[in-house]
Amino acid sequence: MTIAVTAADWMAVMPIVVLASAGLLVLLADVFARSHSPRYLSIAIGALGVLGTAYLCAKGYGENFAAFSDGFVLGGFTVAFEEIVLLATLGSLILYGTIGKDDRIAGAVALMLWSACGAMLMAGASSLMTIFLGLELLSLALYCLCGLADRATSREAALKYLILSSTASALLLYGMALLFGATGSVQLADFTSAALASSPLFWLGTGMFFVGIAFKLSLVPFHLWAPDVYEGAPLPVTAYMSVATKAATVAVFARFAYAALPAGISGRLLLPMWILAAVSMIAGNVGMLAQTDLKRLLAFSGIAQIGYVVAALAGATSLGLRYALYYLVAYAFMNLGAFAVAAALSDDGEQGSRLASYRGLARRRPFAAAAMTVFLVALAGLPPTAGFLGKILILSSSALAGYAWLGGILLVGTAISIYAYAKVVRLMYEPGETSAARAGTVAPLAWASVAVCLVFVVAMAFYPFTPSNVLPLVK
Amino acid sequence: MNALGLVLLPFAGAVAIWLLPRDNRTAARALGTLVALATLALTPAWATRAFSVRWLSRPFAAAFHFGATPLSYWLVLLLAVCSACAIFAANVPRARDFIAWMLVLEGSMLGLFLARDLLVFALFWDLMLLPVFFVLIGWGRHHGTAWRYLIYNFSGGLALLFATAAFGVLDGSTDVIGRGDVHLIGSWVPWIFAGFAFAFLVKTPVFPFHTWMPATYSDAPGPMVAVVSGVQSKAGLYGFIAITLAFLPDYLHQYAGLLVGLGALSILYGAFVALVQNDAKRIVAYSSLSHLGLIVVAIVAFQPLALAGAVLYMVAHGLFSAALFLALGFVEEREGTSLLSRLRGLGRDNPRLSGALCIGALAALGLPGLAGFAGEIAILIGVYQSGLVWVTAIALAGIVLASAYVLRMFQDVMNGPVSPDLPVRPDLTWREGLAIAPLAAALILLGVNPHAVLTASSAQSPPVATGAIEPPR
Repeated sequence: MTIAVTAADWMAVMPIVVLASAGLLVLLADVFARSHSPRYLSIAIGALGVLGTAYLCAKGYGENFAAFSDGFVLGGFTVAFEEIVLLATLGSLILYGTIGKDDRIAGAVALMLWSACGAMLMAGASSLMTIFLGLELLSLALYCLCGLADRATSREAALKYLILSSTASALLLYGMALLFGATGSVQLADFTSAALASSPLFWLGTGMFFVGIAFKLSLVPFHLWAPDVYEGAPLPVTAYMSVATKAATVAVFARFAYAALPAGISGRLLLPMWILAAVSMIAGNVGMLAQTDLKRLLAFSGIAQIGYVVAALAGATSLGLRYALYYLVAYAFMNLGAFAVAAALSDDGEQGSRLASYRGLARRRPFAAAAMTVFLVALAGLPPTAGFLGKILILSSSALAGYAWLGGILLVGTAISIYAYAKVVRLMYEPGETSAARAGTVAPLAWASVAVCLVFVVAMAFYPFTPSNVLPLVK
Repeated sequence: MNALGLVLLPFAGAVAIWLLPRDNRTAARALGTLVALATLALTPAWATRAFSVRWLSRPFAAAFHFGATPLSYWLVLLLAVCSACAIFAANVPRARDFIAWMLVLEGSMLGLFLARDLLVFALFWDLMLLPVFFVLIGWGRHHGTAWRYLIYNFSGGLALLFATAAFGVLDGSTDVIGRGDVHLIGSWVPWIFAGFAFAFLVKTPVFPFHTWMPATYSDAPGPMVAVVSGVQSKAGLYGFIAITLAFLPDYLHQYAGLLVGLGALSILYGAFVALVQNDAKRIVAYSSLSHLGLIVVAIVAFQPLALAGAVLYMVAHGLFSAALFLALGFVEEREGTSLLSRLRGLGRDNPRLSGALCIGALAALGLPGLAGFAGEIAILIGVYQSGLVWVTAIALAGIVLASAYVLRMFQDVMNGPVSPDLPVRPDLTWREGLAIAPLAAALILLGVNPHAVLTASSAQSPPVATGAIEPPR
């Protein structure tokens, strides 16, 4: 069998190529501009690369094309997830404006761009090989990124992430091997045959595949790594992981769930994932209650939030997918916004993450406190924010798809979460002693990011836009 | 301009106030009062002019649809009056932030009452939590109060959210408030009813969902409580009439027994607990529980007169509880306490304050000639005519008990020998007097001419139309 790679194939992944080149450019520029504020140069090149990639990506929205022997499918679905990944990348690398040592920024930005390449690959992957390729590219860059801060916790996070993530990858890979054994193919399109319903290998393979996915999504009970890794990793990396990794993995899962399962048994095969989503919605929110660190809090919050997204997919309806996307975008803005506030308030990336340092913030930095409040309120699902509307949409679509119980659990989880989010709000606004005043850092990039996130978090509630051309395709 | 402008006006005012310097109390209060008065002045002109813009088309149709119904019109007026008085009376530390939050509260409640779409109703229902929560954490005295308020009401809000989403999915549209042609069918309808009922019972509140209320009312500053107790508590009752009674009358009728029971329990429980409270604000809080229970009974009695009385009593209760909480707020400001065991004989040196409290107290105990009486008598006759004789007896007992606890409160605070260990403070200032006067005037006006509210509420609103709410058989 010969594999013919045409120019059209390359055009399909051109955005990824551009993004990877932008990463190289960042490194090159860093070499030549050693003395002149390399921090902003790296960020600028990275941001421009991301924006250019986003522009190129958007052109593929109306396409329906399978590239590289059906390994990568270009279409509305792929583009939507790619854009979310790019949004997360832009929002995260901007945070390097205040965080990290000057001489490491170029490497960090480049690694983040390459990691995003992996995530984009996952968004379009329609064969097991591409999925794994994308996942490893994403993860390998992240292992390094996690360890880039000069702290023991950072190195601990990197090692923890490496070991646990590799274990999950191994499970995923083994599941893929079993799937290949059962079907004789690595193409997701070949998994829909009804004959597979009686193949124990297929069931086992799917199960292990889902365990790997659940780990990457940090669904309970495969979530234990997330709080530690989020806490230890540098702030921009945490922001990136909390959105981009999850979005890419949701893309893989959604494509698998929507288009790559035998029709007769897909309901039963997927049920464990809905149960994991339900457990995550409760356990993630309960886990938040006792946290004293913003990054850990948002780690648990992310566990629950991604539970909401997965719950939206239950029943595999097109409406559910659109609302999952809506909520993912909303979640991206809320989370990136919260991290941007933390980054703007921090001197070295760590001060801004201890919750105690937020005490009395409303009097020292009223705008910071107000912005953080909006993001937390949005995460809790209160109006007038996208979190409110997103929950309504997921609730309705899960009811329409026949999974009303997931909607009910979503509400219970939300009821639990309000205490944890409001606790932070209370810290910022309660009168009395303020914690030691810190010198306010000047962080124009982070503040710009905060402003953009604020606008979108509120505006999305009033102009709910969901793309219609998003059903995942396999060829 | 239209109803949307009315909703946005207080929010714009709040933003403007936040832009003022932090310590400028006078400017904040002046601007706040101005915005609140403008809202009040524009209410007759703008509230009934509908505004509608498409919000969602999937999974169900929803629109930003605002416009007063005859029922909500009176509540909007009540809200505008109470807010203006409360903001004018506000004399708290960090006044700028407080007044801005008051305006946010007014704006979100305006949105709630003017909403013609259930989803918009739910949006403002949840939004309403935030200003009260922020005031409780910023100005409250106890740690637990804010949490209790937030967790109870957020749970209610989520139940409302669930019911709204399910309503939308079943009916295809949530743009329904004020429409009479909505019939829900399906196995979820009982759950929708349960969701609405839970949200409304918590917000009102009705026994046994009331435990957030006394703490909130006694903890928050007087002006805020005046609005929360005067108007926010009507949100639940408004929901019962405008949503549950309008769209789910069968279920309301089916569970009327339970609701009448809860209402009757609230009447008695609130009254008895009010009898033994030591904190004047808590007495009024528990008296609210008792009075609101009476309104719940009136709504589920399925009797036109009782319903008209309920609407009138909602407005009356709003006026006199706002007046009481404002007056008690003045007392607390002067003496630093609202405990009956500490307060004594204030009436001798503060005749104007004593008079203000007296009018509110007399309205609360249902003195003929004041608005409370008109509502109560309409409710009592209506409930009696609907055949709920034992409930009428309980309601009567509640009204008798009201005289006992209200007079006890008034006597302990105002009468008796002057207590030597209390600071002697000046009587009501002109500002404070001016803040409470409109409420007293409205109480008297509605007391002698209740027909304005009675006829308007029964003539125009479809579900409230006379005779239109025959109990389904």
